Amino acid sequence: MSYMLNAGAHSKPNIEVHKFYGGSILLVAFLSLVIQAFLHKYGRWAELLDLPLLVTIYFGVSRRNPVTGMLLGASIGLLQDALGHDNPIGMYGIAKTCVGYLASSVGARIDTEHPISRFGLVFLLFHFHQAVLAITQRVLLNQPAPFFTLRLFLDSIVSAAVAVVLFALLDRLRKSS
Amino acid sequence: MTEILSRHRPLALLAGVIFAQVLLLAFQIKREHDVRLVRYWAVQLLTPVERVGTWSFSKVGGAWSGYVGLRDTRAENERLKREVEKLSMRNRELESKAAEAQRLATLLNFREAHPEAPMLAAQVIGASADPTSHTLFINRGERDHLRRNLAVITPDGVVGKIVEVFPSAAQVLLINDKDSGVGALFAETRTHGVVKGSGDPEPRMEYVENGEKVHAGEAVLTSGEDRIFPKDFPIGTVESAAPGNPFQVIHIQSAAHLDRLEEVLILLTQQELSPKKVEEVPGATPQHQPAQPPVATQKTSPSAAAAHTAPKKPRPAASPGPESNAPSGVPVPTPQPSPSVPPQ
Repeated sequence: MSYMLNAGAHSKPNIEVHKFYGGSILLVAFLSLVIQAFLHKYGRWAELLDLPLLVTIYFGVSRRNPVTGMLLGASIGLLQDALGHDNPIGMYGIAKTCVGYLASSVGARIDTEHPISRFGLVFLLFHFHQAVLAITQRVLLNQPAPFFTLRLFLDSIVSAAVAVVLFALLDRLRKSS
Repeated sequence: MTEILSRHRPLALLAGVIFAQVLLLAFQIKREHDVRLVRYWAVQLLTPVERVGTWSFSKVGGAWSGYVGLRDTRAENERLKREVEKLSMRNRELESKAAEAQRLATLLNFREAHPEAPMLAAQVIGASADPTSHTLFINRGERDHLRRNLAVITPDGVVGKIVEVFPSAAQVLLINDKDSGVGALFAETRTHGVVKGSGDPEPRMEYVENGEKVHAGEAVLTSGEDRIFPKDFPIGTVESAAPGNPFQVIHIQSAAHLDRLEEVLILLTQQELSPKKVEEVPGATPQHQPAQPPVATQKTSPSAAAAHTAPKKPRPAASPGPESNAPSGVPVPTPQPSPSVPPQ
């Protein structure tokens, strides 16, 4: 954590904005949705993962542009809502909009290339995503929704661990500077 | 504002995107009673504004109508007060006229019911200034061919007799005056006596022996022995009777309302009034109907005779004296003196 803070405090001017191959962002986002929907067919264990969330976080911290991250998160979230059958459209849209914006803002201030920082960032953003979802559900749907449970904690650990591997894979899509 | 937005463009954009999605959600979500959330929010948003607007308008309207609009209220109030006073006065006037019309209708009805007895209606125009004297003045006099000792009645009963005649007025001695005396008898027992005034508002019947049975409510009629009043015309009813020395003390409730007379009839004859039923006048409620004499044989009590013959205080008005000469042309038959009852 001290590594992250130190990096954020002193490395802002040196943080690199990564660029990706054309269409790779849209393709990865689309694939994340497809895979997420595909995995749901094979059991409840797939609920441990939120691939669209991980993709949103990755491109947010990589692009380091809050507007781009926000719009990407909104798009992925709305599509995720559209693929669902019981959620009103906008629930994941709002949550991932906020996550994309926050990830881009954080990525512009601290170095998120280290696996540990990525793990910690995903872990925190996972719970932030869940908090926004819970607030939206409570306020708009007037339904009870937990902010934190053991299950959510495990989900966040699994997602963060998967994110470390996934982000390393996605790093290969970057254009070499 | 634009500068702030451009400075925090990403944040503003974030807010816009989230707001758009919240709206999107609000269009889909339905709350209780199947109301969409966006409509619920719209109502929640607008209702307080509308409430404040309505409250403001009502307050402004109230202030206008309660203060500004009342500029002319004082003048209008004064005008309405004057109008109310005017209308009240007019109402009292009409009520008075209606009551007068009712009384006159009663008189006319009575007069038409007795065509055999010529009579003249008169209006009471004044009363005696002496509180111990029960007399009043009427608006008929010599010009109307009146003379002394003519009977004055109302449809309810006997009022009195004329004691003084002036050119255009006459003075009437009421039956409750202490100088008055009317030959009377009880309707049921036919016991004779004399109804006299005692200074009280109501007269008494005197010269009835203690042995005579008299009960309250019994009708008292004229006996005709005084040659002034026609026989069997109501005087009143017995109010109370108590043994006295040497005669009973009998208080009479007079049939005519002696304390509130306004119109009276002057009988121009002593002819007995036929017991023809007086037609009911709408609104007219005569207290006493002329009592029907029973078929029982009339008996003259010694007390009555004593009353008429007793040397009492001179009552020139109670009998037709020599000066009572009816003018020619007046349809007044001269009363035939009864041999049994001398004139008072």
